[in-house]
Amino acid sequence: MNFKTWTIARRCVQLAMIALLASPLTGLSIFSGNLAAADLLGLPLADPLAFLQVLLGSRVLVWSYLVSALAVVGFYFLLGGRSFCGWVCPVGLFTELADRLRKRLGTGQTTLPLRFNRWALALVLVVAALTSVPLFEVLSPIGMVGRAIAFGSLLPLLLVSVIVLCEVVVAQRVWCRSLCPLGGLYALVGRFSPLRVGFRPERCTHCNDCLQVCPVQEVLLPSLEKGALQVTAGDCTRCMACQEVCPAKALTINAGYHS
Amino acid sequence: MDDSSADSAISRRLFLKGSALSALVLALGGAAVSAVYLRSAQARDFYLRPPGALDEKRFLAACVKCGKCAQACPYRSIVMAGGEAGVGIGTPHIIARETPCYLCSDLPCVKACPSGALDKGLQEIEKITMGTAVIVDREGCLSIRGLRCEVCYRQCPLIDKAITIEPRHNVRTGEHTIMEPVIHKDKCVGCGICEKVCVREKSVIVVQKRVEKQEDFYEF
Repeated sequence: MNFKTWTIARRCVQLAMIALLASPLTGLSIFSGNLAAADLLGLPLADPLAFLQVLLGSRVLVWSYLVSALAVVGFYFLLGGRSFCGWVCPVGLFTELADRLRKRLGTGQTTLPLRFNRWALALVLVVAALTSVPLFEVLSPIGMVGRAIAFGSLLPLLLVSVIVLCEVVVAQRVWCRSLCPLGGLYALVGRFSPLRVGFRPERCTHCNDCLQVCPVQEVLLPSLEKGALQVTAGDCTRCMACQEVCPAKALTINAGYHS
Repeated sequence: MDDSSADSAISRRLFLKGSALSALVLALGGAAVSAVYLRSAQARDFYLRPPGALDEKRFLAACVKCGKCAQACPYRSIVMAGGEAGVGIGTPHIIARETPCYLCSDLPCVKACPSGALDKGLQEIEKITMGTAVIVDREGCLSIRGLRCEVCYRQCPLIDKAITIEPRHNVRTGEHTIMEPVIHKDKCVGCGICEKVCVREKSVIVVQKRVEKQEDFYEF
């Protein structure tokens, strides 16, 4: 039986990411850097948002840096949605676990609109262009977690713990859903991906189990309410939790564009 | 009665949630604003950056804090700044008194930098411009006091270029020579080895912000 295969796979990838961040400490040379910029098996990879901030802030274009940022954009375009958030981001792992706690405690029932992260993204880019300060690289909890693992700089983790705390107490996945500018960028990239979560209205029994597990319920609503054949692509984290719980197998993996 | 108290309890909960949420937004907004305006990494102290670093403002704009330069450094000279660096949080720097830059001829830190914060145009260690060594405590310098120390001179990777020994008569004893180490700022790359090896408890020679050469016509 298909028992949470996707969640197990996802946890493995998330933990492997943390292991990769820690791997230089053991003397292994398969990975260096962190999620802002890295070298994986000799392949240079770069966070496209960090690239944009550097480009706007320092007004220097390094071609190899552009190529490695485009490689990452291409990768997440193919996977679609915010698959970075659901599979790779270490902060996403922490806030997911915090969200379980939140559900158990029954706190933080409010939700903030998703579109706030577009504004956060715009703010970061404007600040970078006007002041040359790479705002998200300064405040990024993802960078802080990466440096805490690779260099043991633990004090900045205070900000990460504030974020995790807010996710438990204030509102559902408030940082990840609504405030993270990197999530906002990947949502823009992922909405054009041909790889999507499909919906078969004829199978759906409207039990709403999928809504219970989905971290971004907004993406399921057009399908559940109006019978859209695909789940909204951009903000879906590709966690596949909806497919795992759906008793009617109404949610599928889908390629191409259907409305 | 009961109903109205239940109502007020709910609205109080909503109020608390609302205020907690605004606290989050305020905290994030405050952190963002302070990160922009408290440029302590620039304003406060001098940070000795790895070889090839752009000038400080552009360096802070271009560095993505990935730590690859620090991981590439074979001597672990490069350390990542913590929150005390303000907007420079997570940026690489060198604490010369602990571990200076040993000027690897292949510059692995510069090669590792993905974003251009360390300029790949830098090929030779003689062209590095990290800072300039300055004798900040002349009374503390054993060589200037007339003893035969000269450790900074001997250990300088650019010996007889960046640091030379200028002998002069020791007026105090009347019969000895003072072997004074003199730093030539157009040759000194700022690696910090002199700062590391100074035998005094507190180094009398430290790397400071590089002073650009002044163009002038006072030649004779």
